[in-house]
Amino acid sequence: MPLIELKSVSKIYPLGNQQVVAVEDLSLQIEAGEFTVLAGPSGSGKTTLLNMIGCLDRPSNGEVWLDAEEVGQADSKTLSQIRLNKIGFIFQSFNLVPVLTAAENAEFTMMLMGIGKKQRRQRIVDLFAQLGLQGLEDRKPNDLSGGQQQRVAIARAMAAEPAVVLADEPTASLDTQTSEELLALMKELNREQGTTFIFSSHDPLVISHAQRVVSLRDGRLESDR
Amino acid sequence: MPILRCFLLFLLLYPATVSAFDLAELIRKVEQQYNGDSSEIELEMTIKTGHWERQLKMESWSLGRERFLVRILAPAKEKGVATLKVDREVWNYLPKVDRVIRIPPSMMGGAWMGSHITNDDLVKANHIDEDYDFTLLEEDERRWVIEGIPKPEAAVIWGKIIYRLQKEPLVPIEVEYFDEEDVLVRRIVFDDVQAVSGRTIPLRMQVLPVEKPEEKTIMHYRKVKFDIDLQEEYFSLGRLKGRR
Amino acid sequence: MLWQLALRNIWRNRRRTLLTLSAMVISSALLILCLGVFSGMLKDMLASATEQYFGHLVISAKGYQDDRDMFANFPADLDLPALRHPQVTGYSPRLRSFGLLSFANNSAPVELLGIRPQHEQQVTSLQDHLQSGRYLREEERNGAVIGAGLAKRLAVQPGDELVFVTQAADGSIGNDLLQVSGIFSTGDQGHDNSLVLVPLGWLQQLLVLPGKLHEISLRVEQPRQAAILAGQLTGGMPPELEVLDWGQMLPEMKEVVASYDVSRMIIVTILYIATGLGILNTFFMSVLERTREFGVLMAVGMRPGQIRLMVLLETLAMGLISLIFGVGLGVLLSLYMAFVGIDLSGSLTPITYAGGTILPRLHAVLETANILVPAVVLLLVCLLAGFLPANRAARMQPVVAIREE
Ligand SMILES: Nc1ncnc2c1ncn2[C@@H]1O[C@H](COP(=O)(O)OP(=O)(O)OP(=O)(O)O)[C@@H](O)[C@H]1O
Ligand SMILES: [Mg+2]
Repeated sequence: MPLIELKSVSKIYPLGNQQVVAVEDLSLQIEAGEFTVLAGPSGSGKTTLLNMIGCLDRPSNGEVWLDAEEVGQADSKTLSQIRLNKIGFIFQSFNLVPVLTAAENAEFTMMLMGIGKKQRRQRIVDLFAQLGLQGLEDRKPNDLSGGQQQRVAIARAMAAEPAVVLADEPTASLDTQTSEELLALMKELNREQGTTFIFSSHDPLVISHAQRVVSLRDGRLESDR
Repeated sequence: MPILRCFLLFLLLYPATVSAFDLAELIRKVEQQYNGDSSEIELEMTIKTGHWERQLKMESWSLGRERFLVRILAPAKEKGVATLKVDREVWNYLPKVDRVIRIPPSMMGGAWMGSHITNDDLVKANHIDEDYDFTLLEEDERRWVIEGIPKPEAAVIWGKIIYRLQKEPLVPIEVEYFDEEDVLVRRIVFDDVQAVSGRTIPLRMQVLPVEKPEEKTIMHYRKVKFDIDLQEEYFSLGRLKGRR
Repeated sequence: MLWQLALRNIWRNRRRTLLTLSAMVISSALLILCLGVFSGMLKDMLASATEQYFGHLVISAKGYQDDRDMFANFPADLDLPALRHPQVTGYSPRLRSFGLLSFANNSAPVELLGIRPQHEQQVTSLQDHLQSGRYLREEERNGAVIGAGLAKRLAVQPGDELVFVTQAADGSIGNDLLQVSGIFSTGDQGHDNSLVLVPLGWLQQLLVLPGKLHEISLRVEQPRQAAILAGQLTGGMPPELEVLDWGQMLPEMKEVVASYDVSRMIIVTILYIATGLGILNTFFMSVLERTREFGVLMAVGMRPGQIRLMVLLETLAMGLISLIFGVGLGVLLSLYMAFVGIDLSGSLTPITYAGGTILPRLHAVLETANILVPAVVLLLVCLLAGFLPANRAARMQPVVAIREE
């Protein structure tokens, strides 16, 4: 059984008196441990799809299965619980909490889960070492470079050991070299910890790193290789 | 036509004007009956209240409307207490402390010598004919009933005064005093009419407060002399103190 | 963790937070000061009526206080258990007379209160308001302590001899000399212009009322509880006497005191509505600015309830901080006003209202309720003002919130 399965999923946004079909009748399976990129031009439905997989949004039609559970129609409380326990998010614009330090940002989800302080510290030390963030624990996000911030964001997404990490154009705000480094890091985490990664991107560099590329066009599946 | 109307109007107005003049004159005579041009009177004043009753003997002098002096002769405790009125001012003399006290305007409504007569009565009674407008309410062959209403600008205490006067000889029978709300406050009843010193006057006057029926003040005139030889200088603070 | 986050969040926009905080601090401090001054005025008023004249309770013949009839008196040697009641801290037997007081060419209508100096000082505090001269002495035969307005009207000074005339109880003309011992000035026009304290024995003799009293005025431990005590004392009274409390003698004053609690709430409400709207505005802005952040927090797994709690904690923290400083500042200002005060007698005259006198001064008294009410209401206002933005933050859809720029 795949970790993630979308069955004929559609997402229709009402826009005034019109309807915008962001995703249309899309079916997709992603196995645990995959390193997948959702590719496609702007407006093709990448973010919409990621949001549905990430339990941030519900599909208009169809089913979303995560870890053998249908989450498409769950209530918002259940969804936030699933997000906390099973999903890690990485955003294009990092979106760290500015009043928290790098370490606090990274351990935030663990705190929400009620994990003890000692265990949290250990996990942060490990992750920061792995992500090359040693010595930056007590910095506030504003005092970090973009690449550093995104690495903290990766740490935050990974900290609670989620089943899947979703990253919506994680490198769009970074320069090529930093992007390259980050992709290498994430691939390493994917390999070593077996975490499933799903990216969205229209950056050829990112796409070239991917194990599997799912191309979207106008909300439909164009190719899968 | 216009001539006739004028004539009628004349008929209507003429008696009224004449009588208004006469009425004020009548009242003046009544209010001045004890004064004359000048007078010297010995009287007894009996005051009855719910708590005590007492009798004062006094002697008094007057000259015209504006000068008046009265001194207590008995009882011994108050012998020598005297009141002097000159124009609109009133002074009291207290022999016990040998002091003269001027009665301030705010105390003019206060009782005079503990009686039912106020200081105002002393000051303003003499001007009633000037401060009020009079109308004849009733008349028969023996008496007049006259109503006095204060003139708009007059500073007076009563809202209305009704006089009952006997025509022949001209003496008051009763005077009723009403407050601004037209409530009867006090009556003064006159009797014991006698001819003394060339005039006919009631020798007894009873002041009856309506609200306290058990209380009254009676003034009884004992020796009356009119038109005696008195000068204005007689009514001095020195005289008030009993010194010549 | 939420506390930590909330505390850090309120320091995010330091300038705005400080502005909001100072508005809250200043409004609550001013409120406390304002209520303190208000209480001070009330206390002055009550004191002027009771501690400068009536006393807290008065024993007199039934009906005496309605018309002050000279004949409604009672013997001074009655044995009254009320005078020994533990709550009664002092009593003063009195005889009263209205008459004319005169000096040289000036005369004025006055109210004479025949008293025994040592007793009267237990009940009223005219001895503390002497402008010149001294209070009556126990052995003095015909001394008089007179009001400043009266002294001015008669043009007298301590040492001058006055004549008092009135009608005695036997109908005679009571008159005797008094010698001015002292002149008091309380600010109460009524008393300053007409009240005279004289020795009880002298007045009894003048009025021919030997051994008689019109009233016994009492001072009690708790003036606000005087009515209850009056009820208790009535039981042990001879049937012809009654005990009245200051509320019965001054019904308007009683109403003023009773309406004080309501007025306080009105003042608090008005001031805090303004403050509350300010806080509401600030919090709404701070929540709207952080829409995306809330979206992210929800995306990473924070529950809506936690978001709401966090925002409420922020407002509560603001409330607590401003409460500490506001109350501190308010108490300091009140203390200053209590011990120093501001004298306005240069530009204002005393106002006599409801039988008491409001002195031309700003003077505060510290009362627990005057601090507690603004403090508690401030917290409530903060939570209320925080509730709307907190709810809004909690109801956001994470997808929509994240897309927000
Ligand atoms: N909330 C919304 N209301 C209406 N239309 C929406 C909404 N969200 C997305 N859409 C529309 O749905 C379509 C897919 O949008 P989506 O954001 O998923 O595209 P995308 O592939 O992520 O594009 P990009 O590369 O620019 O991020 C677009 O046409 C977009 O305008
Ligand atoms: Mg997108």
